[in-house]
Amino acid sequence: MIEVGTELPPLTVTLRREDLVRYAGASGDFNPIHWNDRMAVALGLPGVIAHGMLTMASAARVVTDWLDDPADLVEYGVRFTKPVVVPDDDKGASVTFSAKVDKVADGLAEIDITAVAGEEKVLGRARAVVRVR
Amino acid sequence: MTIDATMVGRSYAAAESYQVGREKIREFADAIGDRNPAYRGDDAIAPPTFAFMVGSRALEELLNDEELGLRLDRIVHGAQKFSYTRPIKAGDEIAATATITTVRKAGPVEVIMYETTLTTVDGEPIATATSTLSHNRADA
Repeated sequence: MIEVGTELPPLTVTLRREDLVRYAGASGDFNPIHWNDRMAVALGLPGVIAHGMLTMASAARVVTDWLDDPADLVEYGVRFTKPVVVPDDDKGASVTFSAKVDKVADGLAEIDITAVAGEEKVLGRARAVVRVR
Repeated sequence: MTIDATMVGRSYAAAESYQVGREKIREFADAIGDRNPAYRGDDAIAPPTFAFMVGSRALEELLNDEELGLRLDRIVHGAQKFSYTRPIKAGDEIAATATITTVRKAGPVEVIMYETTLTTVDGEPIATATSTLSHNRADA
């Protein structure tokens, strides 16, 4: 039974440089801020950062892992509020995603997603709308 | 030239349709660390954010409009939203069109919203993506 307040199983994702390179290759987004420290720092960033779309893809998994069928996702949006800095080491950056049902009406559930890296929320207004049966 | 509000409504169609292959879906799912079985096999559907990659073919055309004067290395992705009519699936042949919907300026920073519609080449709606970009014209 899906009701307001239902919490979805949380998910922690570790992003290493290798993951950014793999995502760059798979998505075709070769912006150097996602693989080149020199370019990232020149643009005022602390260092190489994860693709926002990779963080968004990871956050979606909290919802699609919980659904029986990921095709039931009808709407999904985020704001990229803080960059996820990915250090050039073996540990990488950990991002923890959690989610909670905020509204259920007319066969749809609205789910709020929280994404935290270190102490900081890296996504804002992250929300998914799913069909419920 | 620089982008301004008079450019709202300009529309950019991807030069070619995007043919979705099941191995590309698998590669993308692997790259986002997503092992969901729905994204594998002959009947694979694509992970939700795959739509952004398909739409980026239209974004390329928008960025190529010299009158807007945008540079990829000055762009930060501010927000992203998708509305799905149905998931993208292996075998789809998708047409993408990006339309500028909002331009706001704050000093050297331009906040640009554009909407990308994804349909099959036969016109069946698949998804709409709404993107917010910040473009900074200030010299770093």
